[in-house]
Amino acid sequence: MKKLEEVLKDWEAVIGLEIHAELTTLNTKMFCGCKLEFGADPNTHTCPVCLGLPGALPVPNKKAIESIVLAGLATNCDIEKHSMFYRKGYMYPDMAKNFQTTQGPVAFCMRGHLDLDVDGAAAKERPAAAGLGVGEEVENITGTEDGYVAHVGITRIHMEEDAGKMVHVGGGEGRIAGATHSLVDYNRAGTPLIELVTEPDLRTPEEARLFMQKLRQIYLAIGISDCSMEEGSLRCDGNVSLRRRGETKFGTKTELKNMNSFKNLHDGLAYEICRQAEVLEEGGIIYQETRHWDPSKKHTIVMRVKETADDYRLFPEPDLAPYDLSDEFIENVRSRMPELPDQKAKRFQETFGLSAYDARHLVEHRETSNFFEAAMEGADAKLAKPLANLIINDITAYLNANEVKLADTPLTPERGRDLVKLMAEDTISSKQGKQVFAAIMEEDKDPAVIVEEKGMKQVSDTGALEAVVDAVLAANPDDVASYKAGNTKVQGFFVGQCMKAMKGQGNPKLINQILAKKLNE
Amino acid sequence: MAAFGSMSIAQIQQGLTNKEFSAREVAEASLARVASADEKVHAFLEVTEDLAYRAAARVDEAIASGNLAAAGPLAGVPVAFKDNMNLEGTHTTCSSHMLEDYVSPYTATCVKRIIDAGGIPLGKLNMDEFAFGSSTETSAFGPTCNPWDLSRVPGGSSGGSAAAVAAGMATMTLGSDTGGSIRQPGSFCGTVAVKPTYGVVSRYGVVAFGSSLDQVGPFARTVRDAALTMNALAGRDQLDCTSQNVTCDFTANLDQGVAGMRIGVVPEFMNAAGLTPEVKSKIDEAIGKLQDAGAEIVEVALPNVHAAISAYYVLGPCEAFSNLARFDSVRYGYCDPGHKDLGGQYEGSRAKGFGEEARRRIMLGSYLLSAGVYDKYYYPAQQVRTLITADYTAAYEKVDCIIAPCAPRTAFKFGEISDPTEMYLSDMYTISINIAGNGGMNMPIGVGADSGLPIGAQLIAPAFKDENMLRVAAALEKIYGEAPVAPAFADGKVGE
Repeated sequence: MKKLEEVLKDWEAVIGLEIHAELTTLNTKMFCGCKLEFGADPNTHTCPVCLGLPGALPVPNKKAIESIVLAGLATNCDIEKHSMFYRKGYMYPDMAKNFQTTQGPVAFCMRGHLDLDVDGAAAKERPAAAGLGVGEEVENITGTEDGYVAHVGITRIHMEEDAGKMVHVGGGEGRIAGATHSLVDYNRAGTPLIELVTEPDLRTPEEARLFMQKLRQIYLAIGISDCSMEEGSLRCDGNVSLRRRGETKFGTKTELKNMNSFKNLHDGLAYEICRQAEVLEEGGIIYQETRHWDPSKKHTIVMRVKETADDYRLFPEPDLAPYDLSDEFIENVRSRMPELPDQKAKRFQETFGLSAYDARHLVEHRETSNFFEAAMEGADAKLAKPLANLIINDITAYLNANEVKLADTPLTPERGRDLVKLMAEDTISSKQGKQVFAAIMEEDKDPAVIVEEKGMKQVSDTGALEAVVDAVLAANPDDVASYKAGNTKVQGFFVGQCMKAMKGQGNPKLINQILAKKLNE
Repeated sequence: MAAFGSMSIAQIQQGLTNKEFSAREVAEASLARVASADEKVHAFLEVTEDLAYRAAARVDEAIASGNLAAAGPLAGVPVAFKDNMNLEGTHTTCSSHMLEDYVSPYTATCVKRIIDAGGIPLGKLNMDEFAFGSSTETSAFGPTCNPWDLSRVPGGSSGGSAAAVAAGMATMTLGSDTGGSIRQPGSFCGTVAVKPTYGVVSRYGVVAFGSSLDQVGPFARTVRDAALTMNALAGRDQLDCTSQNVTCDFTANLDQGVAGMRIGVVPEFMNAAGLTPEVKSKIDEAIGKLQDAGAEIVEVALPNVHAAISAYYVLGPCEAFSNLARFDSVRYGYCDPGHKDLGGQYEGSRAKGFGEEARRRIMLGSYLLSAGVYDKYYYPAQQVRTLITADYTAAYEKVDCIIAPCAPRTAFKFGEISDPTEMYLSDMYTISINIAGNGGMNMPIGVGADSGLPIGAQLIAPAFKDENMLRVAAALEKIYGEAPVAPAFADGKVGE
């Protein structure tokens, strides 16, 4: 199979996402008073309503409606004041009523969009971005300094209820194939779920991944879900088709499931794009089908073929009156909108003079942006840039490598700020800074204490440095001659010798200055 | 012992207050009466002896502490419920093999309100399967007989509820009405029978047929008993978001008479093909008597009402199809044994668990909601619904209440109507009211000259003005007298 990079030169991938988020921060289910709790004993949070017992009726959770309106406002959607719930009929034991209560043609949120900043290696997946000037527009992207911004349309966000959870027993890995019987846990049944559907505006697996990441940041910021892809409170299906570059007609799409991490989302789509390209290039045809991404085998397999469109017999839910959201309701929700990641990044640029890149990466996670803000509290603005570097590089790498949360490490915002300050004031070198960072994490001590204990202070005393420089120059007369003959490159050698003599604690900037002065005397 | 089922609520409560009898004696005598009279009528599917005695004990305790009122406005009244109403610990079968062994784990709001008001629950009542029918003949457990003529149907689908009152087994019963299922059996059995405005009574716990059409209401022999029951039933229920905050006293207008009231007569109803002469002449007579009593009779048009049955047989089956989808044999209900796969179990269980009429409506709804068909039927039916509702709204600018026949004819014999579409026409006068959502009721106005069987006038009120129809009903009651227990069951007789 060809590599993605090769495939995307000849083929345009058209990707749309369907993203389900459970409103886990609510206390109760969508249509009854049962508690929302992940991991409780099976069928302990159930009642006649979520069990679909004869005679039971749904009563909508007003807070869930507030949550979806908040999600719509945060993703630039139009809020539809008038909308209805519908019944979507299908027979399966995970849906006790054998219909799912969902929304019809008009959802609470319609016609939204998000802009994705695609930079660095991620931007390279999109051929159209190559050589794109800043502000230059092509397709649905606009060039930036280090990549491009992709404008991605959101078709709708609608409200629905989750199904129960099926566990198949007796087969392999909980699969239905070979199972002797199945168990159903209705604790999840009736969990409020919002489904966001994008326009087919995404063109690369990186864009899909970034969209999902950005949406997750937004949902976390507005506090409607814990967005755990592992526990399934944030789930994503991808629709992908290929067409030859320049072609305007869409190809046949496949629907991809089981992409339960950002990596799986990227890798699953990348594999599927390459698979489709291979089939098409060999003269085959793509069938409209649902495929399952298997991360261990790194391929997709057919789940089921869609020969005809499913007939869900959708009709308005007669047990629930149509919604007429008032302006007051919508404005009340809007007034509770917290600062969104994009706004925060903009504020970081304006307040702290950070680059767009730094600001964007700082706000990727709430814990790092909160850390940054706390550390900058009352600090000199000059510390912003080095602090951002510390967070984006050292801290992020540490957290990823150790799979821990920042709050669970010994690194407090004060320690972070003090560490950066020590470097900015030339008390320690940046190389020493890395050692101090490692020591904070290991020894749980303040940076100043570590520097003191390890005798790490950088020597910036000119008299002491001059003595060392003199000694080094005196010990290497041949190299001094070489320098004077025009080979100025040997200055680096002298710096190294000085640092060695000072056990790495000399201020390299000053050593350079003194060397230059003495060699050119 | 006294035939408590033949007494009014006021008579029972007076007897309790005067210590002429205890609530326990009411329960005992009523249960004994059911045991004997129901051999002929077959109105009851389950008798709830324990619950009856428990309820009676609470009433007797209240009496002993000198405060009957504390036991509630229906204290000591023998009552029974249609078998589509959940009552915890009892079977709720909907007269279907599908739910033959189903025991309710919770209680419907309407049932709870009646029991909380002091009612003594005697049991659960027969009905057409899942309320699909107009004769109670589709019950999987055999039909109920009309106490006025045991060879005739009691009407339906709430046939058991009507017959239990008409045979003097209960003072009051509850039924549900989706297209006429309270009013038509009320008419066939000669009882007061009220279908309130949609939203007046909570539907929580009543097994749904057509969610946008279903409404619960009482059967009684007197208008006051029906109104007292309405007081206990009505009002907002947190568990049914279509229920409304109704706080009116339905007994308030009963003695006011009809002088000054504007009562509408609808030519489309009075001139309809299929209306039998004996029913028409009784309704005409009642209109004349209301006029004599001081009402202003005003002709009003309902130009779109002819489309009501067509719209109903689209909307009703669509909602029923969806509501009955849950009966899939997986967690409760009839399960056809021996299937190796889920699809086969679904098919076998539903084919054998549901009766013919239920299967017909499910298949009809499944077809009507399918892609490509939906737009042709469901959507126009909803448009018709809007037009019919507008017709009623316009009519009520001119009148306070409408009078019409309740059914085109009196009770028919078992097996007399076998064609489903002919059966559907027996609801021709009631269906449009469910479509529009306002209240309607049956008021007995004596027996037919030809048949000797009960005939009822249907009184139709504007939405949430149910007190208007009760006021007219009370005036008719003054003229025609209280609805009697069926002759063969009067004075303690059991169908001789």
